[in-house]
Amino acid sequence: MSSKVSERLNRMLLMVPFLAREEGASISDLCREFDIDRATLTQDLDTLQMCGVPDYTPADLMECSVEGDRVRIIFADYFRRPLNLTRQEALTLFVAGSALVRSGVFGRSGALESALGKIEELLSSEGRQELEEVVERIDVEMRAYEGTMREIIDEGLQKGRNLLLEYWSYSRDEVTEREVEPVSLVCSRGYWYLVAWCHSSGDYRLFRLDRIASVELSGAPVSERTRESFSVPRVVGEYKPGKKSHRVRLLFDGGRGRRVVEEWPAATVEELDDGSVRVELRTRNLEWLATYLLKFGPEVSVEGPRELARMVRQKAEAVLAEYT
Amino acid sequence: MDKIERLINLTACLLETRRPVSYAELKNTVYRGVSKTENAVKRMFERDKDELREMGIEVETVNTEQAGEVAYIIPRDRYYLPHLQLDPDERVALTMVSRLFLGSGTPFSVPAQLALLKLAFEEQAAPAEVPHVHWVDTPRGGELLGEVLDALVRRKTLTFTYRALSGEEPAERTVEPYGLFNKNGAWYLVGFCRLRGDTRSFKLERIVGAVTANQSQPKTPDFDLPEDFDLRSATDWGWPGAGGDHLEAKVLFKARLAFAAAAGGPEPVSRRERADGGLEAAYLVNDPAEFVEWVLGFGPDAVILSPEPLREMVRLKVRSLAGERGRP
Repeated sequence: MSSKVSERLNRMLLMVPFLAREEGASISDLCREFDIDRATLTQDLDTLQMCGVPDYTPADLMECSVEGDRVRIIFADYFRRPLNLTRQEALTLFVAGSALVRSGVFGRSGALESALGKIEELLSSEGRQELEEVVERIDVEMRAYEGTMREIIDEGLQKGRNLLLEYWSYSRDEVTEREVEPVSLVCSRGYWYLVAWCHSSGDYRLFRLDRIASVELSGAPVSERTRESFSVPRVVGEYKPGKKSHRVRLLFDGGRGRRVVEEWPAATVEELDDGSVRVELRTRNLEWLATYLLKFGPEVSVEGPRELARMVRQKAEAVLAEYT
Repeated sequence: MDKIERLINLTACLLETRRPVSYAELKNTVYRGVSKTENAVKRMFERDKDELREMGIEVETVNTEQAGEVAYIIPRDRYYLPHLQLDPDERVALTMVSRLFLGSGTPFSVPAQLALLKLAFEEQAAPAEVPHVHWVDTPRGGELLGEVLDALVRRKTLTFTYRALSGEEPAERTVEPYGLFNKNGAWYLVGFCRLRGDTRSFKLERIVGAVTANQSQPKTPDFDLPEDFDLRSATDWGWPGAGGDHLEAKVLFKARLAFAAAAGGPEPVSRRERADGGLEAAYLVNDPAEFVEWVLGFGPDAVILSPEPLREMVRLKVRSLAGERGRP
């Protein structure tokens, strides 16, 4: 979408207005807001100090001064306001906006529409035309975020109030009650999840909204610690199986196996000579897998562990009993 | 001098100046000391100018009084982000929208972050009461996305090797990128496939190796979008049960998971709560195989009550997984 150079240029042109304010900017804030490490920031500042306007005498170059954690730039009046939104930025806002409106996350979409209208006016007529054409061609599907529980969850998120959940854990196949501190909504693979600090697990957990059986507001507020330690990549990061996980080996018919593997990025795959596919993965709980495998019927067989094979057999028999 | 320094200096020079600056002047200021031949410097300037324009910085060309000579300036009113004058509701909406792709691992991540900062510049800080909403991508297929998105915007053809699920040998495809969509976390490119002579969808993670955009005439689109192209109708969208010939199926959800049937999945045409807490729901089914799989996802807690052919599909699937007791 954009080259490395233009990405860096855009970042630096935006950094200067923050640095050119009288009070300067804090180094740690800059690193956090621009999502860069200190080394990158130092490099950016070094580069900026070599830039300026003709005749490039010391008085024509930008000058950085660092005082404690604060850094400030002077002699950069021409960069004191940010660069207008670029095409990519406008496109990103429009793609995100239309996805959110369709999913129903905005109860009242009027405010979003008028805000996007104001963004569109920032573009040149050529840019506006391009945007309108391209937005129609990009779509991020998210399941509808709606239902009666939504208002309670929204209230918990907005006012920072804890929630009491009755939750169906698919992986353990049990419904349990817990108190959680809500911090965010995340859409992953099309599903909505509530991200919250879970008191019973002592960690952040993702709760798929369609697996929440009931929700109530609790009296307790979300703690500052929870809000501050939250970061999306850390919480939604790749699942790392612990020592207690089971090693599972499954044999699938060819086409089906390749499709399944796309849903399990962490699995290892081996294609056998007869066209079938052996999939190996690690999981902490077998309960969910036993149910999940039912839909593959004759296209799957369990090579191990035996406990899983037994669980699948039992589940299959329990289902069959309902159909006789 | 670094390229980035040169681009910053060029931007600063053309932004600060009160009158348009000619190339001759630029050569002696911004491009002074660039140890290249006269022609190479000129080409370098042309590329730099294109790069700024590509980014959205308007470099205006102005005719000077001297015949044949042009000069350049970046109009300030178009460079600076204007005061947007958003009302509080609009600000909340935009903050939510710009946060959506933060950390998503897509080419939208960085623009989302910079847009958020630009919008926050005037406010000093983002409004705290805005709920965080994020969209997270899975890493696979994501690395090709930047290239695909760029070709889509510029309407350039893409060439790549694609491995269809059928297991046949991977084949090279040249595709006119019409659209891009994400479904269940996976990215799909929709485009006219010159090999098949038809509009097809390609799952990005099934692409083997890299994608290459047509490099010739980068500023000229390679194709026109068909006038009647509509992304939604070009893709098989929605839940099983939407559109097509319908078959009505009745499903019983047991009390324990009755809530889950109500919260997700296809929309029932009718529903009845039972005295024991269970839920009976009727659905219009378009794709029976997919529907049966969805119901089986609830294990023995969901049972198809009718019609008989769907019940038989369940039996056929599950029988092979059951032990001796399950066999007829």
